[in-house]
Amino acid sequence: MATWMGVKSIENVLELTGIYFSYENQTVLEDVSLSLQRGEFLGLVGPNGSGKSTLLKIALGSYRPDRGEVRLFEQPIRRFRQWSRIGYVSQKANSFNLGFPATVWEVVASGLYGKMGLFRRFNKAHRIKVDEVIEKVGLTPYASRNIGKLSGGQQQRAFIARALVSDPELLILDEPTVGVDAHSAEQFYKLLSHYHREQGLSLILVTHDVGAVTTYIDRVACLNRRIHFHGDSQEFVAQQQKILSDSYGHEVQVVEHDH
Amino acid sequence: MVEILLHYGFMQRALIAGVIIGLISPIVGVFLVVRRLSLIADALAHVTLSGVAAGLLLQKYVAAFAMVSPLYMGMAFSMVASVFVEQLRRLYRSYQELAIPVILSGGIGLGVVLISAANGFNVDVAGYLFGSILAVGKSEILAIVGAGLFVLVIVFLFYKELFALSFDEESAVYAGIPRHGINLLFSLAVALVITASIRVVGILLVSGLITLPVAASLQLANSFKQAIVYAVIFAQISVLAGLVAAFYLDWASGGTIVLVAVGILLCVMGMKRLIIWMRKRQDNLTTG
Ligand SMILES: Nc1ncnc2c1ncn2[C@@H]1O[C@H](COP(=O)(O)OP(=O)(O)OP(=O)(O)O)[C@@H](O)[C@H]1O
Ligand SMILES: [Mg+2]
Repeated sequence: MATWMGVKSIENVLELTGIYFSYENQTVLEDVSLSLQRGEFLGLVGPNGSGKSTLLKIALGSYRPDRGEVRLFEQPIRRFRQWSRIGYVSQKANSFNLGFPATVWEVVASGLYGKMGLFRRFNKAHRIKVDEVIEKVGLTPYASRNIGKLSGGQQQRAFIARALVSDPELLILDEPTVGVDAHSAEQFYKLLSHYHREQGLSLILVTHDVGAVTTYIDRVACLNRRIHFHGDSQEFVAQQQKILSDSYGHEVQVVEHDH
Repeated sequence: MVEILLHYGFMQRALIAGVIIGLISPIVGVFLVVRRLSLIADALAHVTLSGVAAGLLLQKYVAAFAMVSPLYMGMAFSMVASVFVEQLRRLYRSYQELAIPVILSGGIGLGVVLISAANGFNVDVAGYLFGSILAVGKSEILAIVGAGLFVLVIVFLFYKELFALSFDEESAVYAGIPRHGINLLFSLAVALVITASIRVVGILLVSGLITLPVAASLQLANSFKQAIVYAVIFAQISVLAGLVAAFYLDWASGGTIVLVAVGILLCVMGMKRLIIWMRKRQDNLTTG
């Protein structure tokens, strides 16, 4: 954890340059460049189908861009191996099998498995870590409950805990507050903000709820196939009308080309 | 009563085989069921049948194979098929269960052709279809013990990875868990469990022993560890009670074991209903 405080020069945790991507015959991303500095909290907004989730998957290496470069922690993605430095909660995280026999504790603990590596057994330190994170997200009373028997918002917190338990330096959240009531969402942003400020966690948060997050985030990127805005959140608030009509205005721009 | 049972060598071997199968089948079964792949067991069992048929064919026509149990051939077939299942699953990411009918019908087709090509065997194929635990030989016991150890070691060593992949494959992969390697090892373990179980319950009932105890355990389990423990307990009861009953009543052992497992499932479901009903009634009484 001390490393980020010692670093003087500004390090880019994520750097996307000139990304182009298409699914079969539909161009989804065009010349997208975006960077995230260490300790930055970025809100990524854009209408449905604008390519937000796709962009995150490219950043995480599960899709390879047609053109452009991805760098993670200053390394080209094809050489990057330390996946446990990144936590990811996908848009579909809580569409898991509701009958799955696992407690909240077991689910959160599984967030450590990748980092621990093969053949390592779970020890006391790991157990304490899991308890701590569960406490932080406020799920201690539910730790030994079956995950399927929690409310949607509580499940969401369990998934965040699973992503946080391995102490990632970058946390990527794809619409984590869908279906969560306003009060819980507020609590949730406060929790993220806490990790952001206290531990220097870098964050990317995809959301449709722009208004609710501007107080917590540093920067906003507005995506609709291209980046329509990338700047400070104050600036975004000031020009919100223009930016949103620019990017949302003509709704999703779909370009079909056949080959 | 127990002494009488253990007096017979064949019964001792049957009990050893039964206890091992009753341990590894539900363990593998829990992972299969939660991944919605429980029918894979059925598919691989049918491939094993074609392997057994191929083994019998070789026994009949090739002198070198005369003394080799056709089960080894079955094991080889189902291991190859399990690798193939993994490939199919990779190919059809969003229709993973499609691998099941593909392998299942392929297995039956090949098995039927091989059996007809042999123009009848002097060995009873029915023994493989319905199980013949009382006829388990000494060398087969060794193979079953070996398979059991392999499966236990795999699950023990890779428990965390198997859990993470079963709960949420996508996130597990992002966290750096080697999906393909682990899935492959696990499919091999499934293939081994199936071959080892064929003697005990038979090809047609293999998936029963893998899924029924798990179905009962899922009714009660809160955690994953509980799911495994309950499933093993139910499977052990099924195997032991089934074997003893089959011995005294002279019933088919495989069928008896599976029927006990069905009985346990029904009891568990009934008891759960009853408990919920009683709780509700109590609540109603106390709240007026
Ligand atoms: N697996 C896929 N195969 C083909 N096309 C896809 C696939 N996933 C997404 N798309 C298309 O790519 C475009 C961008 O999708 P993406 O999921 O990135 O949007 P999004 O910005 O995350 O939308 P939302 O706000 O609804 O989550 C959409 O038009 C969608 O139809
Ligand atoms: Mg999306």
